[in-house]
Amino acid sequence: MEENLNKHSDISAADLERLSKEAQDEATPSSSKIIWSEFKADKPAMVALILVVTFILFVMIASLFINTPKMMETDIMNYNATPGSNGFLLGADTGGRPILQQLIVGARNSIGIAIGLTLISSTFGICWGLISGYFNGYIDWGMQRVYDFMMMLPMTMMIIVLVTIIKSYNAVTLTFIFSIFYWEGTSRLIRSRTLSESEKDYVAASKTSGTGSFKIIFREIMPNISSLIIVDTTLSFAENIGVETGLSYLGFGLPIQTPSLGTLIANANDPNNITQYWWTWLPAALLIIILCLSISYIGQVVRRAADASQRHGISD
Amino acid sequence: MSLIEINDLKVHYPIRSGFWNRITYSVKAVDGISFNIEAGETYGLVGESGSGKSTTGKSVVGLEKITSGSIMYKGKDITKKSNRKELDYNHDVQMIFQDSLSSLNPRKRIEDIIAEPLRNFEKLDANEEKLRVLQLLDIVGLDADALYKYPHQFSGGQRQRIGVARAVATNPKLIIADEPVSALDLSVQAQVLNFMKKIQREFGISYLFISHDLGVVRHMCNNIAIMNRGRLVEIGTRDDIYNHPLHIYTKRLLAAIPETNVNHRQEHREQRLEVEKIYQEQQDKYYDKDGKAYPLVQISPTHSVALPEDLVEKIKHEGEVKA
Repeated sequence: MEENLNKHSDISAADLERLSKEAQDEATPSSSKIIWSEFKADKPAMVALILVVTFILFVMIASLFINTPKMMETDIMNYNATPGSNGFLLGADTGGRPILQQLIVGARNSIGIAIGLTLISSTFGICWGLISGYFNGYIDWGMQRVYDFMMMLPMTMMIIVLVTIIKSYNAVTLTFIFSIFYWEGTSRLIRSRTLSESEKDYVAASKTSGTGSFKIIFREIMPNISSLIIVDTTLSFAENIGVETGLSYLGFGLPIQTPSLGTLIANANDPNNITQYWWTWLPAALLIIILCLSISYIGQVVRRAADASQRHGISD
Repeated sequence: MSLIEINDLKVHYPIRSGFWNRITYSVKAVDGISFNIEAGETYGLVGESGSGKSTTGKSVVGLEKITSGSIMYKGKDITKKSNRKELDYNHDVQMIFQDSLSSLNPRKRIEDIIAEPLRNFEKLDANEEKLRVLQLLDIVGLDADALYKYPHQFSGGQRQRIGVARAVATNPKLIIADEPVSALDLSVQAQVLNFMKKIQREFGISYLFISHDLGVVRHMCNNIAIMNRGRLVEIGTRDDIYNHPLHIYTKRLLAAIPETNVNHRQEHREQRLEVEKIYQEQQDKYYDKDGKAYPLVQISPTHSVALPEDLVEKIKHEGEVKA
């Protein structure tokens, strides 16, 4: 083949460097560049990105300086202290515990759980959907029956039961418990797209080029459904913040000594708190709204970057 | 010995229905066809949509699960996956797809697309590989700056040439060209076809050229098989098929070639209507009671046609009279 090619093409090894440099100059920008230019073209998304990144960094670092057990000690003297009094910037709750510090540690816990849960459940769900959709036949059948069984289980009740059975649980075990139940929606969504995607010619071309099944699944098909994956992951991240929060609100999430956004919002269970002591729950509620909105903004930008026809920034 | 021998190939798709989801019926996409492809030739496979020609092509390249029959290559039946693996079959047999856009992965750069078969079948270092890709691009008439671009940045003709470059990357012995130009406009068709011919001359590749465009097939192929309803109705050289068609379906296909000579428009129209009328009247004679074509009968060393016994006798007799 090599001789054959050398005979019929004017290009020889000597030209390699020059030609690859020429090609480099003409190259289509890389995906990280495209994403960045997309953020620059969309100001609200840029603000959202800066907001989310600085907030997460701040929360992660600041919570290291807070002594949580000490902070969570009840202090009757500061019962529902108003914001600004006695050095409580955002006031204190009925236990006299500072809201600001609780917010910082709570946000770290909630976001940490949401990130962990999204990573685990999305990765698993994506793999499950891709493999099930690509192989079809008996493998698909078996995998979908497992899925059906998992869907049949009442999720919230199962989580509550598991949380009650397991004696000592913390943020990490809670993340794993959630992960058992939150991969399903993703997997069905990904499977349906994989079914149609694996019928396309480029998959057939890869097969005839001798590429193995798993390489086709993860290197050929997955990049092509990346916009779907990104949208689903960002949406489920926003949703997963709510999952932990919701359960903590009901009292089955994190243990009482561990603050989270959910336990803070649970302050709103008391009618007195809603009307008079608004500072006990409002900051956490606002924080969740802002976080979820910002994340979905960021998700939209990344989705646009992944799809050339929707871009606002540089095109190629 | 032929490069590829296809014997009694059948591809049936089961249709499941009912409460128990049992196989109640099967679509016979390909129903018992046999032909051989010689080294270095272009073999044309012609037929209307749904006649099973693409399914045949996909079976030969190993993408389709066949129901029965065999495809022999180097003395081995490559319908078995283990044999394909053992022979590195796809190193020698590649495919050019009809839709150039969907056959190139939209998320991969041209370099990665063309290098894909090289990476799987030949172990080259990064520089050799890049050089090979550049040479392939040069052969199909594309510049080096295509290297790091994406498929959607090219025109249809350029994309199809990229598809050709990928197919010839491992220097295969046979390329299945599944309607390679039917999605392109006429001027670009000629361009791509000429590239394919040039590559054939230079690399000694055989093509299985699947098309419904008889004009293109005439330009490309030495031997032609006409396919209808999953079976072959006529096999012959270019001369046999174009000048001495025997099966009514072949005649009908030939009559459908558009004629550009305006002066004889009326005559052509009448001739077409005549052929169509004969087809409607005599259809039953040329197909058996299930509507399938008859088995092929040899008329001359190169020419076979699917006709019932009595018609064959008649044709042979007429041939003798003429001679």
